[in-house]
Amino acid sequence: MSSTFVDSAADFDVRDYLRMDMMPHFLCPGCGHGIALRALLWAMHELGIAKDQLAVVSGIGCAGRLSAYIDANTFHVTHGRPLAYATGLALARPDLHVVVITGDGDCLAIGGNHLIHACRRNLKLTCLMLNNEIYGMTGGQVSPTTSETMLTSTTPLGNSEPSFDACALAAAAGAGFVGREVTRHVPRLKELIKAGLAHPGFAFVEVLSDCTEIFGRKNDLGSSPEMMLRQKSDIRPSAYRDSVDTPFRANELPTGILAQTNRPEYGAAYRRAAAAQRASAAAQAGSANAKEDS
Amino acid sequence: MSGPSASSSSLEAKPLRPAASAAKAREPLNVLIVGVGGQGVIMVSKALAWLAQSKGYEVKQSEVHGMAKRGGTVFSHVRFGPQVWSPTIPKGEADILVALEWAEGLRWLPYLKPGSGIFICDTKRIVPPFACLNRQPGARLRYSRETPAEVKAHVAEGYAIDATQMAAELGNERAANVVLIGALSTALDFPAEDWEKALSSFVPKKTIQVNLDAFRLGRSWIADARRGATAAEQAPLAPMPERSDAPYSVRLEITPQWCKSCDICVKLCPERCLRLNAERVAELAQPEKCTGCRLCELLCPDFAIRVHLDRPVVDATAAQGARL
Ligand SMILES: Cc1ncc(C[n+]2csc(CCOP(=O)(O)OP(=O)(O)O)c2C)c(N)n1
Ligand code: SF4
Ligand code: SF4
Repeated sequence: MSSTFVDSAADFDVRDYLRMDMMPHFLCPGCGHGIALRALLWAMHELGIAKDQLAVVSGIGCAGRLSAYIDANTFHVTHGRPLAYATGLALARPDLHVVVITGDGDCLAIGGNHLIHACRRNLKLTCLMLNNEIYGMTGGQVSPTTSETMLTSTTPLGNSEPSFDACALAAAAGAGFVGREVTRHVPRLKELIKAGLAHPGFAFVEVLSDCTEIFGRKNDLGSSPEMMLRQKSDIRPSAYRDSVDTPFRANELPTGILAQTNRPEYGAAYRRAAAAQRASAAAQAGSANAKEDS
Repeated sequence: MSGPSASSSSLEAKPLRPAASAAKAREPLNVLIVGVGGQGVIMVSKALAWLAQSKGYEVKQSEVHGMAKRGGTVFSHVRFGPQVWSPTIPKGEADILVALEWAEGLRWLPYLKPGSGIFICDTKRIVPPFACLNRQPGARLRYSRETPAEVKAHVAEGYAIDATQMAAELGNERAANVVLIGALSTALDFPAEDWEKALSSFVPKKTIQVNLDAFRLGRSWIADARRGATAAEQAPLAPMPERSDAPYSVRLEITPQWCKSCDICVKLCPERCLRLNAERVAELAQPEKCTGCRLCELLCPDFAIRVHLDRPVVDATAAQGARL
């Protein structure tokens, strides 16, 4: 009958993985991005990934800013392009764990082209997309994931564009691993990121995060805790959830691991081709030398 | 199987036949059957009602079980006699109280007739979630702490039976309610064969044999108890589920310079032991309520809280004593 009390977070102090001179971070009060950062660092801790084995590449935005706080190899690159930089890095340094942190605007709007091709190639790296349905950093413009009818500074009448299901998009484009989680379920988010980091191909992880100051305020979604309580919660039966919660994107989107395939990984295939090419070049050079000698 | 594993606190050996006396007085005989959803309370009352009716008595049965689902409280009133008006038994009027769960038995004790009521109770303990409301490390469960001897003092005739264990030893824990029917049958005037006929028609075909065994075991256990054969004065109660959390002490380390007053920790703490102070910085207002669940640490977007669970402060023996 008795089971032992498991305290899985006992030996994980997030501060061990932060650049303490950069703290406190610049995110607004209650911003979900901070929780997503904790989950990433916790996953890294549990997998035993050393700081110099981790390379974080991030784009521009509140989400993109997170790389600045991580005590590891970090690159804060141009808007929409972190996957392009990360592709080069992961190809050149297959020994590193390459993680991209990007926002919904960064990843799906200006960077949408890079995303579909990264999925198609299936190069081993982890893409963490923090979806807050808005361009937070630039003051709240509409993004490709803004739900219909939501107010943003560029949709004062309510958004009438349909929004992307980023996970469905990534899976269709060929990503080997696709998953989604909300920030409220930190241990589950950590487990999902761990599974993504361990996946041998391209792993796309969408985090449903709350932009409290811009999106929440503009749409009257209440305080930070109220926004968090509105996130999908499996501890309440769905019928109850549907009756008490106002309609919110997270309630309709499935979470957990949504797709996992064993498609060939691009980096390994590329290295094999390169090795074969080097071998045949060496063989040609060898026979040319032999000719000269005779 | 190894003889009955619990004891009786029977007061006297004279066979009590309330059915006969009740019938004479033209008063209905009142049997209250209580327990927890899923234990088979309704089955017990149906078998009794059916049998009484087949003997020509007028029978009224009323039950509340719809809201209980599994794990909630279930009770059933059975009244029979030459004439029965009301379907419910008033407080202090039950001739027999049959309880399939220990705390439910105690809860319904006031319904028993003072001075003559018979109490038949399984020592099985099903601890409801709200008994664990205090999630403090090492906290005691809010579950009845009465011993069978203490209960005995309140009833004319009482039996604390580990019926669940007896049924388990017969090969089917779910037949515990039928062990109790066996016990109940000794207090009523109906012949054992008729009980067995009634049971056979109420239980699933495949389980008839184990249920008949359970019935006979309950009967013989009471007979033994009346003869004083199984009397161990302090009946051990069925084992209590153990609290799984080892005791520990909790300390919250809050970095006030990092806190942005978002209120997430305050509103999502399950114990509500945090608050924002005058500077609107999070602080632990009620340290004694904090269980160290770490939710505030995990959900703080600003890494302003670190929960330290230090070495145990309560030693193992004290923790043992805290258990029932
Ligand atoms: C090439 C270029 N275009 C536009 C911008 C302006 N800009 C900065 S952040 C941003 C949007 C970021 O939104 P998102 O990726 O959703 O991240 P969030 O801030 O919401 O976390 C934009 C358009 C830029 N920095 N560079
Ligand atoms: S603007 Fe929104 S996304 Fe950016 S830090 Fe503030 S709450 Fe977070
Ligand atoms: S969750 Fe963190 S930032 Fe928010 S009030 Fe609590 S301690 Fe402060």
